[in-house]
Amino acid sequence: MRVTNMLPDIQYQMQQSQQALASATQQVSTGLRVNQLSDDPAASANMVVSLASSANVDQYTSNVNSVLPRMQTADSAMSSIVTSLNSAVTLGTSGASSAILTANKQSISAEVQSVLASVISQANTSYNGVYVFGGSESTTPPFVAASTTYNSSQGSVATPLTTTTALTAGSLTTIGDATTGETMTFKAASGDTVATLQQAIASAVVAGTLSAGTSATINAQGQLSIGTNDASSGIVVTSNDIVLGTMAADPNTAVANAYAYVGNSSVNTVQVGDSLHVATNLPGSQLLTAGANVIGSLTSLINALQSGTDTQIGTATNAVSSALTYVGQQRVPLDSTISQLNSQDSYLSQEKITLTTQQDSLVGISLADAATNLSQAQLNNGAVLAAAAKVMPQTLLDYLK
Amino acid sequence: MSLNASLLTAVQALSADTGALQATNSNIANANTPGYTRKVAILQEAAPTNENNLSVGNGVVLEGYQSVRDELVQTQIQQETQAQSGANAQLSSLQQIQPTFTTSTQDIGTEMSALFSSISTLSTNPSSSSSRQAVLVAGQNLATAFNTASNTLTSQQAGLNTQVTQDVSQINQLTKQIAALNPQIAAMQAAGQDGGTLKDQQDQLVLSLSKLTNVSVTQSNDGVTLSTGNGTALVVGSKSFALQTATDSSGMTTVIDPNGIDITKSISGGDLGGTIQTRDTTIPGLLTQLNSLANQFASAFNNVQTSGTDQNGAAGIDFFKASGTATTISAGNITMNMTDPTQIAASTDGTSGGSGNLVNFSNVQTIAPAGGQTPGNAYASLVYQVGSLTSNANAESTATTSSLNQLNDQLSSVSGVSIDEESANLITYQQAYEAAARVVSTIQELFTVTMSMGTAAAA
Repeated sequence: MRVTNMLPDIQYQMQQSQQALASATQQVSTGLRVNQLSDDPAASANMVVSLASSANVDQYTSNVNSVLPRMQTADSAMSSIVTSLNSAVTLGTSGASSAILTANKQSISAEVQSVLASVISQANTSYNGVYVFGGSESTTPPFVAASTTYNSSQGSVATPLTTTTALTAGSLTTIGDATTGETMTFKAASGDTVATLQQAIASAVVAGTLSAGTSATINAQGQLSIGTNDASSGIVVTSNDIVLGTMAADPNTAVANAYAYVGNSSVNTVQVGDSLHVATNLPGSQLLTAGANVIGSLTSLINALQSGTDTQIGTATNAVSSALTYVGQQRVPLDSTISQLNSQDSYLSQEKITLTTQQDSLVGISLADAATNLSQAQLNNGAVLAAAAKVMPQTLLDYLK
Repeated sequence: MSLNASLLTAVQALSADTGALQATNSNIANANTPGYTRKVAILQEAAPTNENNLSVGNGVVLEGYQSVRDELVQTQIQQETQAQSGANAQLSSLQQIQPTFTTSTQDIGTEMSALFSSISTLSTNPSSSSSRQAVLVAGQNLATAFNTASNTLTSQQAGLNTQVTQDVSQINQLTKQIAALNPQIAAMQAAGQDGGTLKDQQDQLVLSLSKLTNVSVTQSNDGVTLSTGNGTALVVGSKSFALQTATDSSGMTTVIDPNGIDITKSISGGDLGGTIQTRDTTIPGLLTQLNSLANQFASAFNNVQTSGTDQNGAAGIDFFKASGTATTISAGNITMNMTDPTQIAASTDGTSGGSGNLVNFSNVQTIAPAGGQTPGNAYASLVYQVGSLTSNANAESTATTSSLNQLNDQLSSVSGVSIDEESANLITYQQAYEAAARVVSTIQELFTVTMSMGTAAAA
């Protein structure tokens, strides 16, 4: 083949080798084999998926770190409740003795009241503003001193609420009953009125959720009044319905040593793994009022110590003892969750390493490989330039001089 | 043979060698001129004369000059140039699109993950106003990422419209120049001349045209005839036919042939072909996928949002919406519908602290719509496609460049100027010229001797 001008080929080869050199230099400086999508489209696409997994793992880890101390706070509170109940059982046992004078029983009763206050305080434990035993109603204390009557802030003599007053669709009205230990939640549907709420309360009474005698009426001031006939127990009412306004306890109807639950039974969960969700709260009703009614048993013990017989005190003490066992059982799932969160934290740390390794293999390059590539590119570029320098100046004219 | 005849032969040789030196001189002068085709002097032995039954040669005559061409390779170079320019046009656009879909920060994938992370954070404390605000911010960031990607693609499309107009303008200028050369070349060829210089110019112009679009080149007595891929004549003889541009209903610049027919779709190859391919096929394909992803993602989020209740106990409203008067959500118009953090429908039970619906938001990440892909996988597919298109355009550009280099080497081996070869020719013709001059000198001496025969000087 007749060769005339080698310059275009030399220029092309120099350009190619310089591109390779630039690419190798970029690999060394970035530590990445894939610096743009076109370098390896499949690896880039896999990188998108891997980065999303990585972001999830980071978030799961963050969730674990957020939820774990809350669960530990809850566990600590339950531990304190167990201690308080043990103390109450001891007090009850001593109070059940016929040798104890009535005055001393009153004194023991006061001590049990302190125990109850402590239990309530622990039950209203919050972590970073979240009440851990309130169900999904986690922004207000779940256990509130009970009263026999609650009145709405809306309604007056001039403009009274009536049974036909429409309620706000989606609004929630909650009635916690200290006697039954249960909570009725009424969610107003479109078209519901005060009468609908009255019917719902009546149905809850029939179902046993609320104590007999609990009802809703329009009082003389034109307000909605929700009350119970049980003067020794009481209820707590809340509502976010702007038609009713704030439900406030009648200050003259407070019931001593009676507390009702106004949280709900919902359990919020948080995702800490691709297919792992853990509960972030415990409904206080499940812990302290349902089953062996912890608060109710303490209230009974207080009442028994104040005015009951030794047998009644013994029975009440046994009830507190049963409640103690019940609370211990309730700690098991909580402890299990804490253990699960600790395990998941370790797993996520490992998973993060795995994903980082995967990402390195997808788009990264080892320093040794990058350095070798750079060295090779430098060598090639040097060879091309040397060859060009050798060949380009030579013509026949050089030899004819 | 007489001395006069011999002198004439020597003078012819001088003339022929001068002509050959002129060709060599031209070759050396144009050694680096793009498109130059080397010339060779056509030397031919002069017809002999018969004297006394003896055939005597009459030396050499310069018949003319000839450009050394290979039309087949020239045609292959034109075709390869079209392919290379087309690939380069696509590569240039895709390289500008590619960074939008990178796997670094602020791309759609990252913002999508950030939105899901913010929702997950909210699930740890559904009543937290700061966590709720973070979800709104993440949602807006994702919408902005979609908007940015869409704007990049549509801006690129708009920019390519300008490129189409410029290419058509250049095509018209080139076809005009090519047509103007046709009659000049034809006239020279009719006169028996090579027309090499003008042909070189024309070949260069056709090559420039090949960089812009696919052209079919045929030779006739009137010179080259050029037509587009669909047969639309661009140059016939001394006439050129200008292409026009127009704007269609979607705002795209179209190419109209001299008969008023829209030939945009039939144009392939060259910068214009590559530009139209990118503008009308590649980018719309990516936009369709991007819009589908934005629409499906927004629909999934809106479905979850409207199935839950917000912090005030009210039914959730749409999370995303289409901006302006548009009714269908796309990547270009997606924006947040909510501005109040309490409107995030985290709850399913109506409580302000409920988080039952947040798991449904999270499920959008992992549950693929019927017959579709999860949002993450759909975005990964999009990333793969952009990377693959760019990689393929790059590979085609590299391959055609390499192929073009080989073809140029091949053409150069035929038509290119070798300095070494021309230097040797220079010496050859110089020596021949010197020898012929010596012949003239010798004949002059012979004339002198002859003229002085019988004179004292001769004695």
